[in-house]
Amino acid sequence: MANARPGLLRRIVRHRADYLYVAPALLVMLLVIAYPIYDTIYLSFFNTPPNLALEDKIFIGLGNYQRILGMDSFHEATWNTFVWTVFSTLFAFVLGFGAALALNREFVGRGLMRGILLIPYVISAVAASYIWRWLYHSDFGVIGAISVAIGLTENPINFLDSTDFVMASLIVVNVWKEFPFAMIMMLAGLQTVPDQLLRAAQVDGAGPWHRFWHITVPHLKGVTLVTVLLLLVANLNSFTIPWIMTGGGPAGASEIWITHIYQLAFGRIRFGLASAYSVILFIVMMGMGYFYVRALTKGDAK
Amino acid sequence: MKRRDPWRIGGAVFLAGLTIFALLPMAWMLITSLKTQFAALQYPPQWLPKNPTLEQYSLLLSPGNPVGQEFLRYLFNSLWVSFASTVLGVVVAVPAAYAFSRFRFPGRNLLFYSVLLRNMFPAVVFLMPLFIMMRWLGLVNTQASLILTYLTFGLPLSIWLLKGFYDNIPVQLEQAARIDGASRFQAFILIVMPLSSPGIIATAIYSFIMAWNEYVYALTFINNAERLTLPVGLQRFFTEYATNWPGLMAASFIMSVPVVALFLVLQKYFVRALTEGAVKS
Repeated sequence: MANARPGLLRRIVRHRADYLYVAPALLVMLLVIAYPIYDTIYLSFFNTPPNLALEDKIFIGLGNYQRILGMDSFHEATWNTFVWTVFSTLFAFVLGFGAALALNREFVGRGLMRGILLIPYVISAVAASYIWRWLYHSDFGVIGAISVAIGLTENPINFLDSTDFVMASLIVVNVWKEFPFAMIMMLAGLQTVPDQLLRAAQVDGAGPWHRFWHITVPHLKGVTLVTVLLLLVANLNSFTIPWIMTGGGPAGASEIWITHIYQLAFGRIRFGLASAYSVILFIVMMGMGYFYVRALTKGDAK
Repeated sequence: MKRRDPWRIGGAVFLAGLTIFALLPMAWMLITSLKTQFAALQYPPQWLPKNPTLEQYSLLLSPGNPVGQEFLRYLFNSLWVSFASTVLGVVVAVPAAYAFSRFRFPGRNLLFYSVLLRNMFPAVVFLMPLFIMMRWLGLVNTQASLILTYLTFGLPLSIWLLKGFYDNIPVQLEQAARIDGASRFQAFILIVMPLSSPGIIATAIYSFIMAWNEYVYALTFINNAERLTLPVGLQRFFTEYATNWPGLMAASFIMSVPVVALFLVLQKYFVRALTEGAVKS
């Protein structure tokens, strides 16, 4: 849209009735989205007192940013966030894509199967976190008991209180919760692969692997990009599972950016510092957002 | 096509393994919820409850005792907050999504992509300023604060999903109505609205489930036990009765039932809502 074209004003006036339709939505979005973003950026330049009145805040420029980038706990949380995001996304995508491939053919009970596999995605993250805390319980947890019963370990593993296992244990829960999302997205993608093309290739003597690699995969590029981006974003933003299951512990071993920000903001009431931290996260997100919009609008050239 | 090729067998084995992975935690939740507290804290565990009991469920769901009263209040609060924010979000989103789909007003693309980008922002970015705003408005500790803040994710999502549905309704139908003398608004109400009701249902359910499961805003804005919603209420329940795992599992089960039921009944719409936009055929 060439907005700089002369007559923009006239076009706006001509379309004035159109804006009535979007006005309520825009008003709400200004109030609950635009203003909060502005306020977060604004607060990030202030040293705020540790109380909720926020009256005696002092402008300190980029001071909060310098402090955060120098904190050891920030570096540790950054590494954890990286591990959490990358491995959650990777495993959720691989399991989801595998399930989509297996479900992408007619068989009895296929709809039921798809429904069952989607349930973890639908139930609340809070319920999921408690269920898995119980499964991981250090004394009475069923996973520990099974691994002892089949002779895998001598004693039940302490999944959540050990700095070595906690991250992997949380990632398993997260993958359990979100692989169905990847499955549904990829299944929808697979259904757009033209059947005639696959059959024609079969007639020409192409084997299953060949058909998959040269026909199916190229067709799935777009949906794969969107799915992976949405998984990355969701994982970077996830709060409930780590917060309920460990609260970032033990000793910060499962602290990721989001839980760290929450702890700074509402545990220690350092709104200025937490705002600067949010802005850093926000910048990373915008980078991904750019690719997301680009992926969604490709081929939408109207 | 009925040949048994190794790909098909491999797929079946993989699918079976994945189903076990998906179902076992939920099976264990159900099994635990049917145990007594004593039976739950056994090592090695009772794989199946020796004396299954519905004690926890009757405790949680009977208004006659304090635990049940508390739990039912949380349940009711969750229903109310999710319902109100869904209705509010859909009512505001429907005309906006329609305008984004049909009209070509200046600034349309810019506005629409900023709606889209909202999906990228973590709730935590909004948490502090919204908390300050709610304090200023005097809404901290009220359910209005939740209904309003749930729009931060409900509204952009609804606009995005609904626009996808409107894009799929042929514009010729409205044009025919216009030729017959209907105004643009009449065409929207009389022709487009009925056709888009599946889309509105899908969007409303998606938005309801998101609100029902929401945790972080409820955790931050509400600390009055009277007004808690279920996800945060569950946590209080957990800390107050720390060892009552069967009770917690029963509560988790009850909390999951509405969303799973809604979803299973309307699976088709739900899946469509999820994948709308990402997949272009």
